Amino acid sequence: MEDLERVLKAHPLLADLAPDHVRFLVGCAKNVRFRGGDYLVREGEKEDTLYLVRQGTVSVELRRPGGDAVCVETVGAGDVLGVSRLTPGAAHLDCRARDTVLAFALDNECLLRKMKEDTGLGFALSMRLLERTYDRLSRARLQHLDVYR
Amino acid sequence: MSRSEATRSSYVPAPMAIARAVREPRSVFTLTFEVPGGFRFRPGQFNMLYAIGVGEVAISISGDPAEPERLVHTIRAVGTVTGALESLGEGAVIGVRGPYGSAWPLDEARGRDVLFIAGGVGLAPLRPAILHVLRRRAEYGRVAILYGARSPEDLLYREDLERWRGRLDCDLQVIVDRAGLDWPGRVGVVTRLLDDTPLDRDDAVFVCGPEVMMRFVVRDLARRGVPGEAVWISMERSMRCGVGLCGHCQLGGSFVCKDGPVFRFDRVAPLLLVGEV
Repeated sequence: MEDLERVLKAHPLLADLAPDHVRFLVGCAKNVRFRGGDYLVREGEKEDTLYLVRQGTVSVELRRPGGDAVCVETVGAGDVLGVSRLTPGAAHLDCRARDTVLAFALDNECLLRKMKEDTGLGFALSMRLLERTYDRLSRARLQHLDVYR
Repeated sequence: MSRSEATRSSYVPAPMAIARAVREPRSVFTLTFEVPGGFRFRPGQFNMLYAIGVGEVAISISGDPAEPERLVHTIRAVGTVTGALESLGEGAVIGVRGPYGSAWPLDEARGRDVLFIAGGVGLAPLRPAILHVLRRRAEYGRVAILYGARSPEDLLYREDLERWRGRLDCDLQVIVDRAGLDWPGRVGVVTRLLDDTPLDRDDAVFVCGPEVMMRFVVRDLARRGVPGEAVWISMERSMRCGVGLCGHCQLGGSFVCKDGPVFRFDRVAPLLLVGEV
């Protein structure tokens, strides 16, 4: 548990989080490993995990009806995958490991419970996830503008 | 007087025959001219290219400054003049006058880490500066090139990219906005590459690409502690005369053709949201 706590707080999302908060989160987290080609998330499936990527590259893919699948973004070490998973619903994209991917998997139900139990933790995590969400929105806008056309 | 001297000393285009015309991806093409007397320029400068009987257009020089006998322009066909230039083949004659405008501050960057950030066809105006720095590698600190393109098919200068990637003294990172599943590289916007790039407020950062992209890049650089004084951008506005007389490219109190196209970012930041006057 102590080791997991140590490595967990090394992830950029949790960096500088109060030690008590990291300790509190340990119970929701586990280390996971995916081989190249494995799916972390499949479109349409229930989303119940927030992934904090530690190593490797994940391809975020969208299957188009009648067309080839496209990769809309690659994410890697330090990134967070599945911010949207904290709200109820099914996955709308595939997330596939391109190579060996190491990540922390945080159980959403457990995470939300703890965020409600400790509102200080809830606020700190919400702000960090909001920042990540805004960054991703900002990148998506730039991609949508198709500025190189 | 050599042809290049004649070109530089007057506003009259000098006729030059296309020695090589190469189709690049998606309406982009590269024209090479042999100039026996040499065509000297500073990286970042541009020429006015005249498609005879059609019109003139300002195009950055994208060749190697150490090889002045070969003048190179990489152009995207987006309008009447560039469309006319695209239709020309080897042996066709166009008018060339220049070089005009400001240059990347390569002397000022000496001794510092240098970061090049290019988007799309914006790699063309940066290419002479990259070639210059790599040729005089010992005079500069760490060198990184970040290049974003629309898709893998849109990547320019593939031979250069492969050569730069093969060097141990240069960090090249490439990213595309979208890709099929067969693309093994990174996908996303060019600012994502900053996540993996060591940055320092003393770096010299040269940025060229669509203006919207440059605004995102500069904002992300600032968030990472790189101030506007350390960033130079190459601006593009409708240039007609090339010498600051007609006013078409006026940007506040500056003329892009005469005072630019390369500007230190903090000096033009408020003007980036201004359209043409």
